[in-house]
Amino acid sequence: MADSTNQLKSDALLEQMKQHLASDAGKELTKKINLVYQFNIAPKKIGFDEVIYTVDLKKGEVCKGPYEGGKPDATFSFKDEDFVKVALGKMNPQIAFMRGAMKIKGSLSAAQKFTPDIFPKPSKM
Amino acid sequence: MAMRELVTGGAACAVPGSSSSSNPLGALANALVGSSSKIEEKIKEIPTSIPSSSERHFYPEANDHLGALDQPFVDPNSQGSEFLRGFRSAAQGELAAAWDEIQGPLGRESQSHIPQLDHVYDRAAITQPQQPILDGPPQRVLSSFLHSFVDSSRGGVPFRPTPLPILGLSEGDKQCIRDRSSIMARHFFADKSEDFINAQVNALLCSLDIDGNAQAKGPLPGRYRELEDYWNESQGILKPGPPAADGWVAEFNQQRMEHGDGDAWAHSYEQQHGANGWASEFEKSQLTLVDQMRGANISNLAMEQTRMLANTLAQNDDPKFQNSKFLQFVSKMSRGELIIDDNQVKESALPATGDWAAEYQQQYNRSPAWADEFLSHGPDQWANEFAMQAERHGPVDDQWVNEFSKLHVHDWAEEFEHQVGEGVLGENSADNWANAYDEYLNEQVAAKQRSDTSRGLYVFSDMNPYVGHPNPLKEGQELFRKGLLSEAVLALEAEVLKNPDNAEGWRLLGIAHAENDDDQQAIAAMMRAQEADPTNLEVLLSLGVSHTNELEQAAALKYLYGWLRHHPKYGTLAPPELSDSLYYADVARLFNEAAQMSPDDADVHIVLGVLYNLSREYDKAIESFQTALKLKPHDYSLWNKLGATQANSVQSGDAILAYQKALDLKPNYVRAWANMGISYANQGMYEESVRYYVRALAMNPKADNAWQYLRISLSCASRNDMLEACDSRNLDVLQKEFPL
Repeated sequence: MADSTNQLKSDALLEQMKQHLASDAGKELTKKINLVYQFNIAPKKIGFDEVIYTVDLKKGEVCKGPYEGGKPDATFSFKDEDFVKVALGKMNPQIAFMRGAMKIKGSLSAAQKFTPDIFPKPSKM
Repeated sequence: MAMRELVTGGAACAVPGSSSSSNPLGALANALVGSSSKIEEKIKEIPTSIPSSSERHFYPEANDHLGALDQPFVDPNSQGSEFLRGFRSAAQGELAAAWDEIQGPLGRESQSHIPQLDHVYDRAAITQPQQPILDGPPQRVLSSFLHSFVDSSRGGVPFRPTPLPILGLSEGDKQCIRDRSSIMARHFFADKSEDFINAQVNALLCSLDIDGNAQAKGPLPGRYRELEDYWNESQGILKPGPPAADGWVAEFNQQRMEHGDGDAWAHSYEQQHGANGWASEFEKSQLTLVDQMRGANISNLAMEQTRMLANTLAQNDDPKFQNSKFLQFVSKMSRGELIIDDNQVKESALPATGDWAAEYQQQYNRSPAWADEFLSHGPDQWANEFAMQAERHGPVDDQWVNEFSKLHVHDWAEEFEHQVGEGVLGENSADNWANAYDEYLNEQVAAKQRSDTSRGLYVFSDMNPYVGHPNPLKEGQELFRKGLLSEAVLALEAEVLKNPDNAEGWRLLGIAHAENDDDQQAIAAMMRAQEADPTNLEVLLSLGVSHTNELEQAAALKYLYGWLRHHPKYGTLAPPELSDSLYYADVARLFNEAAQMSPDDADVHIVLGVLYNLSREYDKAIESFQTALKLKPHDYSLWNKLGATQANSVQSGDAILAYQKALDLKPNYVRAWANMGISYANQGMYEESVRYYVRALAMNPKADNAWQYLRISLSCASRNDMLEACDSRNLDVLQKEFPL
């Protein structure tokens, strides 16, 4: 972490997700969902300066960069802030979608399994 | 979303990008509901004056609708005369005042009515139709006119079309007015029939020369020639139509009745919709939208209705409309691909293919705009406005009127001329409207976002019993020490209201909020503390911690560095020029130097631990906190920091032990209870997590995070039966169901 000012809030959540997937609860999750999601997260505006994460809920991995094993089941585009809101249950994904805060590509049935409960919640100091 | 609302929600459902405006939809709604819009036609026949014949025609019909209304309203017909008797005994001064109140929005113009009114009143006969005086600059005319439209909602009386001077509305403005008034009318007249609402809106639009069908019209319809002359002569006074005397009395009485009954009205509105009714209803239906997309039965009735609707829609030969997403949506519904069941839109049990997602997105691509409009403008706001109406008889919902009035009126004349000159009113105009509307919406969204970023303002509780307390700071400290956090918050708020520059008051208030699991308020209070005392180390550390919790990394780093810089011992380590361009690595290095300087200073280890949290080097963070704990074993917040760090590095088992230590030291530590819940939830033990969240919420019902997490845990634990209690924040039910 060279320069903290360029960090996305989502980085912290996805880092935690990465560790979470190694835990027992995380392994349950991969069994249950068994899909690959790609997240394009933009600092300010969807489509600009996006940071891409692949959350592979088949293998239980989180990596930076686009999915390399083919086509992800669903790709989501977010602003950093909105991703955090959805992942923490502050904004419901359907509302986010209706408001244009979340864009989806891919299979809708896969997209529907993207719910706030797949993300571990950060604890507060 | 009820089917009816879907359709008659009119402008809400209209797709801004197309020219399908509210009114085709309104007409469809009528077709669907099975009633024709006779009233509309009548109104269109009488745009400039109000012949008494159609007036009389109009009233009985409208009253029929009134009679069929929901009950909160007093039936004007049955009680009107009684009211009138009571009214006659009232002093004239009161009457004048009352009249003034009704006409309040019109400001001074209304004064001129009063002598007339007295006169009229004495004779119980009418010489002048109830009209605001519509002259002056266009902006005032429009404003007055829209106010009178709003006023008509208070009385629930039919709104009459009125001749207006040329206002020079641009097409974009017209579009705005058309769409917004359709939406607003449905809020004002939430309990009225569709016919009534459409009649009201059409009367408004007709008067403003806005074509309900969103088609471009000739700029100066002949019937306004005469008025234009008046206008040019700066007379602008209306030629009063033949007075509809009886109608006026009835109307006036209704208005008075309604006015007197403002409380009841607001109350009934709230009862019907709940304070946030519309918003939550909307959200709920969206929540279930996807969840319940499967296995639903096709409702034949709904299918039938949508088929009719689709047919009617298809007959509109506006190509723009034919391509509209709304039509696609409806026809899809009529084919049974989407169904309405229990007032929810559902996908029928078709295989959800990838294409569907794309199509769905396409359909809704434009919808965010209207959803945003509602969310940003706020159903809350509307609800509040309605609620406030009871207290302030004044025109609270004039806000939207003012908004219309502000639509760049000074530019209107110019723009109007320009458009006429270019002949733009031809085929391109639809696009212009759409663009204007989009722009308008974007502005709204931007305004919303601005208000989001302007957070950091401290929000005081209302009804604070400690206001007026002789020594609220002492009381607050005492309550805090006893662990009564929410009470302490109130006492400390009273203190900082009394002494806004008391850094200690703000600081303790911030700590109380943080322990109460409310970081937003904690940050807001701590910022005030920092204003009052910019070098207070505890304040700087708290701000660093709270910003770290909120994932605001740059801000957190700034405050933590500030801590070092203002520390009497380590301040020399921190070169002031560094604070302009902070790099994490530099800051971490400096803190490590500080820790080497005095390894027995627990505080420096604490800050270092927070700093490692920021960089997500959790092992180092845990080590730092453990070192600090050896020096300060009774610091409950330190135990919580250790636990939170362990939890975030997926050591939830250890975290729970640390939280337990914290809670042993401070049983009312809401944050630790909530963190316990998080740790259980992250381990997949949802039922347990629910108990801890509920426990935290019982101590601080304002902890929004905990409510959100509780909701997630409930649905993960398959306790959907308790979601309603969660949504309505019913702690009694939850505590009974999930005792700890």
